[in-house]
Amino acid sequence: MRLMRTSEITQRAVVTMAGEDIAQIKDVVYAADGGSVSGFTLAGRGLFAGPLKEFLPWAGVSALGADAVMVRDESVLASAPSILEGSGGSAGSAGDVLGSQVLTEEGIGLGTVHDVVVSVDVTGGEYCDVVGYEVEASEGLGTQGQMVLIPLPDTMAASGEHLMVPSSVKDFVGHDLAGFGAAVDRFRAHLEDSRP
Amino acid sequence: MDWWGWLILVVVLLVVLVAAVLVIQARRRRGGVIIGSKSPDRGERR
Repeated sequence: MRLMRTSEITQRAVVTMAGEDIAQIKDVVYAADGGSVSGFTLAGRGLFAGPLKEFLPWAGVSALGADAVMVRDESVLASAPSILEGSGGSAGSAGDVLGSQVLTEEGIGLGTVHDVVVSVDVTGGEYCDVVGYEVEASEGLGTQGQMVLIPLPDTMAASGEHLMVPSSVKDFVGHDLAGFGAAVDRFRAHLEDSRP
Repeated sequence: MDWWGWLILVVVLLVVLVAAVLVIQARRRRGGVIIGSKSPDRGERR
């Protein structure tokens, strides 16, 4: 299992096993129910290239390397799912989580999302899940202006404009990726224990 | 205006147009994180 920021994935080249550079990652698309990354929208390569209509499903990713996202061949690309139509996913950035406000259930703003943290495993379980947000903290966290990492529950509520998190998340805030995985586990165990 | 004046004007307009296209396309390629509505079927992986 490896934790990484989605900003490390976006703009990475998508390369086939034949060595052909077919696209670059544009957006990371994930499901609010469980946080599983369902795939990536793509942009063309080259200075004048724009967004592509094709979608790279997570199931089509062979490896998520430091410099490229490897796929078997172009046949793994699919047409953009209907969830992206109208959201700007293939043509713009409407509906983007980045810049959204994080709110607790008590209505306290914790900050605005600067990046999203995913947990990736392409060797064993082969999954990519959203496990946290990197936020520019507001007064609600007591560290205004600082970048902090807040863990997310298994199931999260998110609409794109406001991202809801449990109030107890304030006790599990991290400051760097090292050790953040443990904070996520502790936070989820805490939520499990506090369920009636 | 002399012919070279028109030439300079056309070259400047072309440069501005290319720069604008580059900026617009770079913005359109910029990444983000989007919330979908459905979890992927992990059983279909690879």
